[in-house]
Amino acid sequence: MESAREWIKCDESAKSLMDRVSMERPSLLLPPPLHRAPLCAGNVVEIVGPSPSAKSYILLQAAINCILPKEWNGIHYGGLERLVMYFDLDCRFDVSYLSQSLKRRIVRAQGPDSHSLVEQDTHLDEVLFLACLKRFLYIRCYNSLEFLAALKTIRPQLQTESEGHGIGVHFLMFDSISAYYWIDRAYKPLSSAISNRKPFSLQSITEAVVQELRQLLQFHPMLVLATKPALLGLEFSACHITRKQSSSPSATGMLPLSRGAERFLYREYMPSAWQSFVSHRIHLRISDETFADAENRYLPIYITEWELPPLSYSDKFTVRDEGIFLVV
Amino acid sequence: MPPLKSLQHQFPSIDSNLLHFCASHGIFSVEDFLVHDLYMLVALAERQTSSKGLKEGIAQVLTFLNNQHFPWMNGVELLESTQHNKHFLLTGFDGIDTLLCGGLCEGNLTELAGPSSSGKTQFCLHAAAHVAYTYMCSVLYLDTSNSFSSKRISYRVNRLLASPNKGEKGRSLEGIMSSILSHSVFDIFSMFETLHQLELSLSSQAEIQNSKLRLLIVDSISSLITPILGGKGPQGHSLMLNVGFILKKLAIDYNLAVLVTNHTVVGEGGNSKPALGESWKSVPHTRLLLSRDQMSNICNMSILKHTSMACGQTASFRLDG
Repeated sequence: MESAREWIKCDESAKSLMDRVSMERPSLLLPPPLHRAPLCAGNVVEIVGPSPSAKSYILLQAAINCILPKEWNGIHYGGLERLVMYFDLDCRFDVSYLSQSLKRRIVRAQGPDSHSLVEQDTHLDEVLFLACLKRFLYIRCYNSLEFLAALKTIRPQLQTESEGHGIGVHFLMFDSISAYYWIDRAYKPLSSAISNRKPFSLQSITEAVVQELRQLLQFHPMLVLATKPALLGLEFSACHITRKQSSSPSATGMLPLSRGAERFLYREYMPSAWQSFVSHRIHLRISDETFADAENRYLPIYITEWELPPLSYSDKFTVRDEGIFLVV
Repeated sequence: MPPLKSLQHQFPSIDSNLLHFCASHGIFSVEDFLVHDLYMLVALAERQTSSKGLKEGIAQVLTFLNNQHFPWMNGVELLESTQHNKHFLLTGFDGIDTLLCGGLCEGNLTELAGPSSSGKTQFCLHAAAHVAYTYMCSVLYLDTSNSFSSKRISYRVNRLLASPNKGEKGRSLEGIMSSILSHSVFDIFSMFETLHQLELSLSSQAEIQNSKLRLLIVDSISSLITPILGGKGPQGHSLMLNVGFILKKLAIDYNLAVLVTNHTVVGEGGNSKPALGESWKSVPHTRLLLSRDQMSNICNMSILKHTSMACGQTASFRLDG
C-alpha cells in the first residue's frame, strides 16, 4: 500500500521542472537563418544543401556567436560566452577566415563608424580576441577510424577544457557528417566464422557514432550542428539529368527549368541510425536571384526551408563579410 | 588499425585475460573496439572476477586511441600554426596571384577545371617553373596524360633567369630543372602507391630543409577517376574520395600546395561545370574555372569556391607562346 502511495506521489512541481530543465538544457537563440525554430541543448540540427550553399559559413557564424562574451568592457557583444567543439571532418576549415570574421564582429560591436582595416587594428581589443579564440576547440579527422577514436576519447578532453575555462561546451559542430560516406560504404565486411563479431561497415560505424553522441549528450547536454552535402539524384547519372532537361524545351516549347523552380530533389542517404538521431533539419539552396549590395557586387541569395519541424515559411539570406543578412 | 594482440608489448595491462574477454564479445582488433559500446563493455567487465585488470586494460586501449587522432587545439594555437606554416606560393601570373590573394596556398588543395585546350597544363607547367625558381624548392609533377613538357619548363625558366631581377648568382637552368620531378601515373592504383611513397619519404625526411617539396601538381586527376566512376557500386566514388583525402592530408600535414586539374562537362542549362560530380565538390579547398578565348589567346579564370572569398571573381592572364 505504501509503495503504491509512493508511486503516485509527485516528484516535482511543474515550476521546478521548468527551472531544472531550463538550467540543464538552456534554449539557445542562434543567428539567422537558424533562428526560426526553437532550439535547446540536446537537439541535433542537420544543415543540408548542395555545394555551395553557405553551410560551413552558417556554422562559422554560430561558432562566433557562441565564443563571444555577452558584454566586455562595457560594450555589448551579445554572445553566449561558451566553448565550441568543432570536428573538421572535411579538413577544409580556414582558421584565418574565422579570425577575420571574429575581428569584424568585435569591431562592428564597438562602434558603427569603424569600418576600415587600419582602424580595426587600433581599436581591436587583443585580449578579447584571444580569449574568444581560446574558446574554440578544433579537431581534424581524415577517416572514420580517427573520427571514432576522437569521439571515444572526447570526455576527458571536455572535462579538462570545461574546468580550465570555468564554462561548459555548448555547441558541438561537425563539418560535414557524411564526409566518409562513400569510403565507408565500400568497405567489404569480413566474412568470418565468428558470429558475434560486428562487421566494420557504414552501418556499424554510423551506429557507433550515434551511440557515442547519445551517451555524450546525456551527461553534457550540447547543441549538435552538422552539415551534410546534398548529393542530387544518387540513382541517376549526370547525363541522364541533362538529357531530361534539354529535351523539355524542344518537346513542349516551354522555358527550361530554372534552378529556383526545382524543389528539393535531395535523397536522404545517411543510414537510418543517423536519420532517427536528427531532431531538426534545414534545407538550403541557392536561388536564381541575386542581391546588389552597396558596392554593386551581385551576391547570390540562398533560400532556407525547414523540413524538421516543417515550417511553412522560408527565409532568404545573403552572405557578406560582416555576416549573414536576411533579405526580405 | 592493429589487432589487439600486437598492443601487448606496448601496454602491459593488455594481457591474455583481456584478450580472452574481448574475444568472447567479438573484439579482435582495435577497429572492433571502435564500433563497440565501451560503457557496456566496462559494465560487463565489472561482473568478471578480474574486473580491475580488465578495466585497466580497456583504459590503456583508450590511451592508444587517444594517440591515433589529431590532438585537440584551440583557436589561438591553430591560428599560430597556420600563420607560421602556411604561406602562399606565387604562380608568376600577377592577375591570378592577386585574385587568389597571394597565389597557391600551402595546406590547400586547389582544383583547376577547364575544357580541353583551355590552358590548364600550360598553367601548371608555368607555375611549376616559377615556384621552383622563386622559392628554390622542389616541385613534384604527377602526369597522367603524357602532357609534361620539359621544353616548356626550360623555356620559362630561361625567361625567368634572363629577367633583370634575377636574384643571386649561381642559379643555373640545370639546378632549377633538376628540382622539378615528374612521374607518370596512368591508373588510380599506381597513384595510391606513388602518394603513399611520397608520404613515407616526407615523414622520414622532415629535417631536410634544402630543396624541400612545396608544390605537388596532378595533371589531371579526372583522367584517372572518370573511368572508374559510374557503375552501380560505390567503389568508384570511394576510390575518388580516398585520393582526395590523401591529397588533403599531404597538403595539410606537410605544408604542400596541391594543384589538381579537372576537365569540364556540360551541366544544366548548357553551362559547363567541372567533372567528377557532386561528391568531389566537397574535396578541394579552392575551385577555379578556366576558359580560353581562342582568338586572343587570353585565358580567364574565375573562382567557383574558396574557403574565405566570395565566388564569381575573375582574372585574366595571357599564356606565352
